[in-house]
Amino acid sequence: MKRMVSVLVLLIFAAACVFGAGQREADPDTLRVGMVTDAGTIDDKSFNQGTWEGIRQAQQDLGVQTRYLRPSGETEADYVAEIVNLYDAGYRFVVTPGFKFETAIYIIQQRYDDLKVVLLDGEPRSQDYESHVGPNTVAIYYAEHESGFLAGLATALQLKSGAVGFIGGMEIPPVQKFNWGFQQGVDYANSNHGTNVTVSANNVIYQGSFTDVPAGQQIAATMYDRGVKAIFAAAGGVGIGAINEAKSRAASGEEVWIVGVDVDQYEEGVYADGKSIILTSAMKEIGNSAYAMIEAELNGEFPGGSILTFDATNDGIGIPAENPNLSADVERVVFEVLEKMKTGEVAVQDSSAGLIP
Amino acid sequence: MWDILIQIFPYAVAYTIPLLITALGGLFSERSGVVNIGLEGLMVIGYFCTAITIMQLQPELGSSAVPIGLLMGFIGGAVFSLLHAFASINLNANQVISGTAINMMAGAITVYLARTITGSGNILIRSGLTRRTIPVLSEIPVIGRLFFTQTYATTWLVLAILLISWFFLYRTAFGLRLRACGEHPAAAAAAGVNVYFMRYIGVMVSGAFAGLGGGTIMVTYSGEFSGSVAGLGFLALASLIFGQWKPFGVLGATFFFGFAITIANVSQVIPEFAVIPPVILRIFPYVVTLLALVIFSKSSQAPKAVGEPYYPGQG
Repeated sequence: MKRMVSVLVLLIFAAACVFGAGQREADPDTLRVGMVTDAGTIDDKSFNQGTWEGIRQAQQDLGVQTRYLRPSGETEADYVAEIVNLYDAGYRFVVTPGFKFETAIYIIQQRYDDLKVVLLDGEPRSQDYESHVGPNTVAIYYAEHESGFLAGLATALQLKSGAVGFIGGMEIPPVQKFNWGFQQGVDYANSNHGTNVTVSANNVIYQGSFTDVPAGQQIAATMYDRGVKAIFAAAGGVGIGAINEAKSRAASGEEVWIVGVDVDQYEEGVYADGKSIILTSAMKEIGNSAYAMIEAELNGEFPGGSILTFDATNDGIGIPAENPNLSADVERVVFEVLEKMKTGEVAVQDSSAGLIP
Repeated sequence: MWDILIQIFPYAVAYTIPLLITALGGLFSERSGVVNIGLEGLMVIGYFCTAITIMQLQPELGSSAVPIGLLMGFIGGAVFSLLHAFASINLNANQVISGTAINMMAGAITVYLARTITGSGNILIRSGLTRRTIPVLSEIPVIGRLFFTQTYATTWLVLAILLISWFFLYRTAFGLRLRACGEHPAAAAAAGVNVYFMRYIGVMVSGAFAGLGGGTIMVTYSGEFSGSVAGLGFLALASLIFGQWKPFGVLGATFFFGFAITIANVSQVIPEFAVIPPVILRIFPYVVTLLALVIFSKSSQAPKAVGEPYYPGQG
């Protein structure tokens, strides 16, 4: 059933592509930028949407042609098939969001030597997990610790005192780096801006999955019961449970907060009367990095063969431009510190040394 | 320790309630003679129906969208279970396979519909139910703190359904007939009972209750439909066996699971529990279940004719 539905969806997409293609591909000199979506839809409020927004921005500003394809499944073969479809339709620049594309890109980069590939949040790997970035591929990572740092700083400045906590999904490097950065951000506020916010070892937790919603709710509830005011939830579905708990408490008058992750989660935290429990979000600027790579390609500076890290210096991370729950002063300080990160005046470590692991 | 117990008790109860109502639904189905392994899928259907109803109605109706959503979950589960009922009662299909089909279909069809209707596989609602403390009753020493603080309205609804179900199954002629269809359908038919009708009722009640269970998840601890209930339907099925197909046995079994899993979940936050490795706490309820099943296997109280198709006129 699932397969049949997927095949049907794919056929509709394919038909739409075929019929929609005619007029648009008139100019042969325009760069054609394709994208293949990861699990979920194009408007998933996460990786797919962020990537696509960056590509659309490039279409507006730089005049490239764009198209996305949605694979029928989440296997390597599905991904490869869609990239081949893009290639056959004349697309020579493909962006793929998420580490699930690692093995597919490994195959693709060997097959075509005139196809530029941008892989976000991962690097091409063989089946034996050996990394090899081909000459026309760019692998992009993000400095999650810097993003977490800014969120921790904003949280501490806004709350001024009290306890905060962290709920992670699986204990894997991107999640760990969010955690370590968050703690350093809180420490920075305590020592430089006179706040008194604490993170205790009991309140730093990796639940162990990205899907266990009730566990997220129960952990968040217990933390709030024990006096935690804000929780940084970098945990996928576990975070959904935490957000729901915070919404239900806020609706009955308690002051509790969640710090969002990856994208601006403000809308997900909106409860009954239009207010949101999302204090701010530790973001990865996925769209910016896709945009930057397209721009580089047009300027003939595509950094093929390299592994890049997007951090503060190239606007790869940050907090949302608008944070209705932060005061203007707090936002100003956070953006000042972001500037200091760019110059190197403020440095954030990406290891657990001296922190709660 | 008492403080910790008071603190986590409401969360354990909140986790238990969807399990309890789903297992109770399974009890009706199996007591009437139809194995229902599709509880997981029926929960997903209820989860989806509740979510989509509340999402659509909340902007206009506000908080009264929640009970309507639960009702739709209840109805959605009952309607979807008709597929299982038709296959296993009219067509005499293998009931395990039909139930498995329900599970596979439910996950796919709900995500497909969610994407078609909302553009995203997830359905987010603004607000569900809020936990409330009951004014006078919560003042009672000991039990007041445990049972009457921080409770959801659905908890009382489900407990009321449990009592009514018990009365219905053991104190009415209709209940006796329903159980007879699961023990010896031919004898029941000889006594003038319409076995097909009774089994339809059993399966539909199980669908409705599982749907309500899914809806309860939506309005209590989840708040966002994500296309899966992560094995809770199968846990409900295990509770049904662990509880030996009896309403209060099921209550005990589901509460045991709910409490043990809650402790495992929150153990990392609470220093007093943190001395025990989380992995031990996590596997504890399942190990106990396995042991219990081994010990009780000789004296199993399963309905005699459960899983067997009924052919009219069979002796």
